[in-house]
Amino acid sequence: MALTRREFLKWSGTAGAAAAALCLGFDLKPVKSYAAELKILKAKETTTICPYCGVGCGLIVHTKKSGKLLNAEGDPDHPINEGALCAKGAALYQMTVNKNRIKTPLYRAPESDEWEEIGWDEAFEKIAEKVKETRDATFTEKNAKGQVVNRTTGIAHVGSAALDNEECWVLQGIMRALGLVYIEHQARI
Amino acid sequence: MAGKFFFIDTTRCTACRGCQIACKQYKKHSVSKTKQYGTYQNPIDLDANTFRLVRFSEHPSKVNSMVWYFFSEACRHCLKPGCQKKVEQIKKDAIIINDFGAVLYTDKMQGLEKSSKAIKQACPWSIPNWSKKEKQMVKCNMCYDRVEAGLLPACAKACPTGAINFGDEAEMKKLANECLAAAKKKFGGKGEILDSEDVRVLYLIIDEQAKYRPVA
Amino acid sequence: MTNHWIDIRNSDCILIMGSNAAENHPISMKWVTKAMDKGATLINVDPRFTRTSSKADIYTALRSGTDIPFLGGMMNYILTNKKYHKEYAANYTNASFIVGSKFDFKDGLFSGFDPKKKKYDKSAWAFEKDANGVPKRDLTLKDPRCVFQLMKKHYSRYTPKTVSSITGTPEKDLKKVWETYAKTGAVDKTGTIMYAMGWTQHTVGVQNIRMMAMIQLMLGNMGRAGGGVNALRGESNVQGSTDHCLLFHILPGYMATPNTKLPKLANYLKRRAKSNDPLSANWWQYEPKYMVSFLKSMFGEAATVANDFGYDWMPKLDAGADYSWLTIFDEMYKGNLKGFFAWGQNPACSGANSNKTRKAMAKLDWMVNVNIFDNETASFWKGPGMNPDEIKTEVIFLPCATSVEKEGSITNSGRWSQWRYQGPKRLRGVKPDGEIMVELFEKIRELYKDGGTFPEPIQNMRWDFVKNGKFDAHAVAKLINGYFEKDATVKGKSFKKGTLVPSFAYLLTDGSTSSGNWLYCNSYTEKGNMAARRGKKDPTGMGLYPEWSWCWPVNRRIIYNRASVDLNGKPWSPDKNILEYKNGKWVGDVPDGGWPPMVNKEKTKRPFIMKPDGVASVFGPGRADGPFPEHYEPLECPVPKNLFSSQRMSPTAVVYGADTDAHATCDPRFPFVGTTYRVTEHWQTGILTRWQPWLLETQPQLFVEMSIELGKLRGINNGDMCKVSSARGEVEAVAIVTGRFKPFKVQGTTVHQIGLPWCFGWVHPEDGGDSANLLTPSTGDPNTRIPESKAFMVNVEKSGKRRA
Repeated sequence: MALTRREFLKWSGTAGAAAAALCLGFDLKPVKSYAAELKILKAKETTTICPYCGVGCGLIVHTKKSGKLLNAEGDPDHPINEGALCAKGAALYQMTVNKNRIKTPLYRAPESDEWEEIGWDEAFEKIAEKVKETRDATFTEKNAKGQVVNRTTGIAHVGSAALDNEECWVLQGIMRALGLVYIEHQARI
Repeated sequence: MAGKFFFIDTTRCTACRGCQIACKQYKKHSVSKTKQYGTYQNPIDLDANTFRLVRFSEHPSKVNSMVWYFFSEACRHCLKPGCQKKVEQIKKDAIIINDFGAVLYTDKMQGLEKSSKAIKQACPWSIPNWSKKEKQMVKCNMCYDRVEAGLLPACAKACPTGAINFGDEAEMKKLANECLAAAKKKFGGKGEILDSEDVRVLYLIIDEQAKYRPVA
Repeated sequence: MTNHWIDIRNSDCILIMGSNAAENHPISMKWVTKAMDKGATLINVDPRFTRTSSKADIYTALRSGTDIPFLGGMMNYILTNKKYHKEYAANYTNASFIVGSKFDFKDGLFSGFDPKKKKYDKSAWAFEKDANGVPKRDLTLKDPRCVFQLMKKHYSRYTPKTVSSITGTPEKDLKKVWETYAKTGAVDKTGTIMYAMGWTQHTVGVQNIRMMAMIQLMLGNMGRAGGGVNALRGESNVQGSTDHCLLFHILPGYMATPNTKLPKLANYLKRRAKSNDPLSANWWQYEPKYMVSFLKSMFGEAATVANDFGYDWMPKLDAGADYSWLTIFDEMYKGNLKGFFAWGQNPACSGANSNKTRKAMAKLDWMVNVNIFDNETASFWKGPGMNPDEIKTEVIFLPCATSVEKEGSITNSGRWSQWRYQGPKRLRGVKPDGEIMVELFEKIRELYKDGGTFPEPIQNMRWDFVKNGKFDAHAVAKLINGYFEKDATVKGKSFKKGTLVPSFAYLLTDGSTSSGNWLYCNSYTEKGNMAARRGKKDPTGMGLYPEWSWCWPVNRRIIYNRASVDLNGKPWSPDKNILEYKNGKWVGDVPDGGWPPMVNKEKTKRPFIMKPDGVASVFGPGRADGPFPEHYEPLECPVPKNLFSSQRMSPTAVVYGADTDAHATCDPRFPFVGTTYRVTEHWQTGILTRWQPWLLETQPQLFVEMSIELGKLRGINNGDMCKVSSARGEVEAVAIVTGRFKPFKVQGTTVHQIGLPWCFGWVHPEDGGDSANLLTPSTGDPNTRIPESKAFMVNVEKSGKRRA
């Protein structure tokens, strides 16, 4: 989404100064030797909300034409943080641009001492088979008292507080459709 | 462009370190290998990868049993920089002051490794550091590219509580005086603005300077 | 939060207790600072002097696990010195209700206790009712059986001297805090509380929060600008994921999970108690509309009147049984679970008693972990003390996209649902969580085409939010809001099939509407995606920003806001006007129902519309551990006696009995109180932040904080490597010996406390240390089963090892 460049007018004295002449009073040589173009000016801007705590601070994300993340900083229009960020929020860039990220599904076989890389199709097939096998083997239509329960207590699910709302809703739907009752997340700890 | 100043009100700082990281993020700085040294402060001092550092200092106090002072330190952008004076003796125009007062190290600073200690010593706060990667002395450049484009420096923008402020000289000096008066009222008459005649980064503190940062 | 972040600026007095807001919710301090600029007082109570304390006008310490004595003493002060807001308490709370004659309290036990089951029969706490079944009241608050008088009697035991002897807080500090906060009982003043896991992670967690809520009600601070009870939530969408109920006991919108006592939909739809009180809105009476609409969102066209809208396809709990976190890992440890999903979570570090959690995982057949980075859960089989050769668990790790690589909404602590856009292209090889779940479920469903057990819910789950084979966040957001599933006329308005429902007032019980979560009905309407709004208008001037994003319910920014006005509809504080009844209508925030003010006895309804009696519960007859909070020591504590009764610990606390559930109280091996916390620079277990060099540089290794006195006692200097141990495990940590921790004087003896963060783990960095949850006990609150991670017993000694 396109944003207004109100950010530029956020402090007095420099309104409309985006194209201000560079460094009057100096000859061009030393100027060139340090001057750098403001990289974020040409980038695509999108807004986001910080993925860490529950304050819900706004950020502006700058993306290069290539689709690579360039910069992420506070959204001055956001009424909660008005451009400010703590250490974690200020580092948002580094969660995405990070050589430690895992780029392919991994599989650890029984009794193995290492991970092996697998493809997404293989990963989904493996999990789907496990889910079906366990679900079918442990599914309880009636409990010990003979009451209808239609559930499995052979599988548990935890997590979701870092997912989007839409993902949370679909995930609870899937887990309940599978018959899980062991469904928990971060609010319980 | 009118001269720019920082005003840093240490009484409002919560040490969230948004400024320290925002600086790194904007400049895409690397890091130094650190350890837990028995303090929250880290890195333990400014270095080639850290141009802004929040210092943590705790002291016993009669009120609330303790005080924990936080001091977001970086280059003061002196009106008459000691580092510039020193470097001028070695190489002309390697350090310049731009039209709004940012003290800038140009690439003429490259190759001065032998003088790096002397340049650091020429700074009353020992701010600049030798960068092996850049092969020159490095320090805060007031985010001059942002300022020229009408943006706040990354650190000032990140600050949530109004501890770091940035703007025109008159505005910052007015704010500094107002905050000084408020601090004196709140903290029993204590409060001073550090080095207000010499630098473009005005710090408001309410205790001896040595309780905030190492003082030689 | 009943209120929201910006609203903190409207407060006259801010109490930060049970949280370290400056550390864990740093930007909240922006609004705390703004309040202080206008003259508000900041009080901070914490066992340790923190970044928050550094900004407080008043700071004092208490021993971990003694918040109820501290606050119970405040309640005693408020009632004894008549600092309460009487008109508010009488009209808007159950302080005036007459409690039945079966209620009693003796030596730490309420009436109705069954020592064998360790449970209460709550019927012993019921209100006395009149011929119409409406609770009897005494608005003068003088009847000796009214809640107010019973409460006064209960907390009269919480004298400054006894409280101080338990909490270790000097009496003069207690009085200073009590007096300062109680000033917000003045009609025009408000005070707010900012709390977090420092209150929830106790065997008395719920009662910690109830105690404060009761104070807020007696001071008249609920529903008002600058007031409320404000839980600072620690994850960006823990609010939303709770609203959508990825929890065993509730369905989206806080509706109970079906159980064996509700075998058929008809039973479910009749489950809510009716109120015969004409002044009670009793909002939950509308639950049938919400439940049927939820089932239509779950099963779409397959959900029909004839099949109870698919109610039978929903799994059912055994009534009264527990399926919570601690139980999951207890069952897993016993080998009763085969498969496990840890989706965007790192339980090997985040749950209490990590050794038990990690050992439990080794008993699984398979585990799926979805995350951005490697972590202690996914790689548990190669962790400390594990022998991969003997671990049969198959593990599949799925790498997911980051928050800026996808689109969707999250809900903050202030209940604002805010839309996020995709910025960069996603990293090659990873998938957003939504895509992962869609593709996985499609694969599962394919397998069920060839038969399988009870395939109906799997085959019938509604799937029209998948567009062109992909998860579509907008389509899901619309389904969560809800559609008219057929042409319908509601409240005199006609709606075509396929129209988005304007708000939950339009939902129906006959299957004509869907709504994935009634609380979010109004969030994505024919007017558009409300969560994406960026309007900056602030008509009240109180920072409500009604056109910025969207807030549940129905964009109400402050919950129970009709309690912010007097019986005539005028704000209690004219300078904090968020709502006022003017010329026959409400002006300001979206009111909690549009009924006229209380003075109009014919047409009004009381403001606490979600409560069956329309008033807030000072007396809480629904809780598992008693209607009034009472002090009990933690499971592990440094004192042999509870000074208030012979019940040392909560008689109803949940204690598990596996061999890994060892605990030790008043045990010379573990003489010091321990607690856990977080740091600004890491998030939760550090799963995302330990991999980020900028953040790791600032907080690289596990530390343990202790007082100068304890350092001397143990010969530990600042920076020394230490071993911290409990009955369950141990960690190596670097000592921070600091004046910010001080020894406590408790029952005449010196008690030391230490604390350490739980943001580290063995996977990365190599020399970072492991999780502090290796030390914490898996014992829980009887209402929530949230573990007691904030108060336990430890030893600390110099390890002799050199720092890595």
